[in-house]
Amino acid sequence: MLYFAELAGKYVTSSDGKIIGRLTDFAFLATDQPLVTKLRIDTRVGHILVPISNMKSINGTITLTPGFETSGVSDNELSVKIHLLDQQIIDIKGNKVVRVNDVVIQDKPYFVIAGVDVGVLGIARWLKLEQALNRLVSGFGTSLRSDFLPWENIQPLELSRGKVQLKHEEGKLTKLAPEDLADHLERLSVKNLTKILDLLPNEYEAEVIQNLNVSRQRELLRSILPKHAAGILSLIDPDEAVDILLTLSERRRNLITPLLTEDAKKQIDYLLNLSTTDIGNLATTDYFSAEPEETAMSVRRRMKRDTTLATPLTYVFVINKKKELVGVCNLHELLLQDADVPMYKFMIPNVVAVYLTTPPEIAMKKMVKYKIYSLPIINDKRQLLGIVTIDDLVESMQEKRT
Amino acid sequence: MRTLFHQWKHRILIALAIVGPGLITAVADNDAAGVSTYSMAAATFGYQIFIVLIPMTILLAITQEIGARIAIVAEKGLADLIRERYGVRIALVMYGLLFFVNLAVVIMDVAGLKAALSLFGLNPTVFLPAIIVGLYLFVVLSSYSIVERFFLVLVAFYGTYIISAFMAKPDWATATSSLIIPHGQITPRFLYVSIAVLGTTITAWGQFFINSYVKDKHLTTEHLKYNRAEIYLGAIVTDTLTFFMMVAVAATIFANKIIVTDAAQAAIAIRPFAGNFAGILFGVGLLFAGMLGCVIVALTTAYAFSEFFGYSGSLDETFRKSKLFYTTLLIQLVIGTIVALMPNVSLFAITLAANFVNGAILPIIFYFLYEFANNEAIMGTHTNNKVQNWLLAGSAVVIIFASLLGLLGQIFGW
Repeated sequence: MLYFAELAGKYVTSSDGKIIGRLTDFAFLATDQPLVTKLRIDTRVGHILVPISNMKSINGTITLTPGFETSGVSDNELSVKIHLLDQQIIDIKGNKVVRVNDVVIQDKPYFVIAGVDVGVLGIARWLKLEQALNRLVSGFGTSLRSDFLPWENIQPLELSRGKVQLKHEEGKLTKLAPEDLADHLERLSVKNLTKILDLLPNEYEAEVIQNLNVSRQRELLRSILPKHAAGILSLIDPDEAVDILLTLSERRRNLITPLLTEDAKKQIDYLLNLSTTDIGNLATTDYFSAEPEETAMSVRRRMKRDTTLATPLTYVFVINKKKELVGVCNLHELLLQDADVPMYKFMIPNVVAVYLTTPPEIAMKKMVKYKIYSLPIINDKRQLLGIVTIDDLVESMQEKRT
Repeated sequence: MRTLFHQWKHRILIALAIVGPGLITAVADNDAAGVSTYSMAAATFGYQIFIVLIPMTILLAITQEIGARIAIVAEKGLADLIRERYGVRIALVMYGLLFFVNLAVVIMDVAGLKAALSLFGLNPTVFLPAIIVGLYLFVVLSSYSIVERFFLVLVAFYGTYIISAFMAKPDWATATSSLIIPHGQITPRFLYVSIAVLGTTITAWGQFFINSYVKDKHLTTEHLKYNRAEIYLGAIVTDTLTFFMMVAVAATIFANKIIVTDAAQAAIAIRPFAGNFAGILFGVGLLFAGMLGCVIVALTTAYAFSEFFGYSGSLDETFRKSKLFYTTLLIQLVIGTIVALMPNVSLFAITLAANFVNGAILPIIFYFLYEFANNEAIMGTHTNNKVQNWLLAGSAVVIIFASLLGLLGQIFGW
């Protein structure tokens, strides 16, 4: 990941080390895949355009290949400096949102504009104050993050008309769905991947990581600091976190788990203990439970208050004082009841459940047969250990097949 | 006949719709800081100082017109263009300078407001914060058109200076002839004061304000002609008011050899000669000048902030949508009020710093105006003509010279 602020002004040298000039601008294609096509180099006798394929390396200076060529501007090319940098970003309704403070360029597998930086750090980078600002802010116990706006949000066609316009309305700036961004990021090297992820807000970052494929997750968690890894794992669903942890070596896992937040650690430790079997591997503790005496109204209220962020909730599991699973009801049944009816009056006492040792195929068959979307996992004392959901089960069987 | 009538009706309606930016910006140049400077100048030199009024009007009209024309054609503010054409670094430096110099002017205006309140025996510790809060809430809650009408009402209060002038029973023949015929000796002190008068009228913030304000009014190129007329008219109205203000002071305070250094003192000193009522009117003028000045100068910084950094900022938008815009406005008014209420604070030091930075920043702004107004990519067919370019460059030279001299004058106490 490269920042235009850090590239602009760099010396460009030929392969034998002779200084040609300074890099001042990039030409790029205004398309959904904004490939960087040319470097603009200001020399002592005017400026030249050099196709990006003639660039050998970027370190302290930019080195060109031997016998590099120059070319002119094509019709479909725009300039980073004129059309993008410092321009006003407007939303689809024409409201002013913010300005482009820096342009973020992805260098692998090919040079392409990944998006724009609209945050304070983008400004600080031009003043060479990025580090200083970060240090200053970390002194106050917080950290600054770049506000990264991925290219997918920008309407490329409007750029050539001199407008940096978003595809969305300002408030509804959903950015890219984490799943889609994950797909996009899987193509990057781990180094670049970490750089991009660093730009994202924590929750969003966690969601994206959750959606990467397993090998990517493993590489990523191996390469970042244990503290950062723990931070991410604390934010994502516990069953997913366990899946990721299980892909790591035990040594690495033991480095990370003590750093998890208290809550996450409890759940993840618990699930890790279950994970010795296939079903245990898929288990999650994201379920909603009630006591047999609790009234329908009280359950509904608690659900409204506590579960706004929970993963899709389909059943209420009824658990007695001895932690035994004594019944279950689905949401429709819960809604139909009068306010003061206790759970035991309308729950289904014959719960379809699986054990840790149940093979996933059998669990699947039970789900299909009884039309159930999540199965409770119990031990021989009928205590509820966790649940396994249909999506996790299907996914694992699919993976097994491929 | 009918069509002719309709044609005229149409023109008059457009003209009325256009009124605002030119008049408001120009009259706001006669803010509390301005009134003090004019009072001091007229009290010291009497009718002799009137000779600067006509050249000053021309400079004001020309520079404001260029700024407004850029805003109308480019549909962008001066700060927008600086950021887009010159990048983050220069934009930040310019914003820093503008913020500093505007803050100093805001403080002077709030201080003028405070002095006016004291004139009427109103306790400033109570009334000053109350007025500032009231002004702020009004600007935040009202739409552009209502705020504009309010500004125009404030402008109307400058009429009090005309009445004060007549009550002072001046020698009108000398007063008017002094506009064209120079008399008296030209001393360094006279030059310094003339320059202070010029510097308080043609300001850095005035250039930014007219630009952003015109943009906020959404005028289009078909309005260019009317806009130009309005701006010229605004400059003439403003300096006519300055003329009457100075007449009132020259005919009383100067004629009786009393020394005053600011507007509040002038309002008191005028009473024995022109009557109590004239003094009160002069004070009322100062009160409204302070109100208009502090809001408009603080608004300028707020406009510039949202343009430099690309946030939404318009008088037509709600607080929620233009949070940073309105917060920038608030911060300045709060600082202004606190500083003005501090006892024993030396406004002299602030004035000195403000005048210097203002002087230094103006030629830079003229440079940007020159570049933008001559750039065909921005202006199309509406680029500057030769006369405008010469006048702009000439003004820059005069003002650089003027502010340097002004600074030296203040340092060495000429």
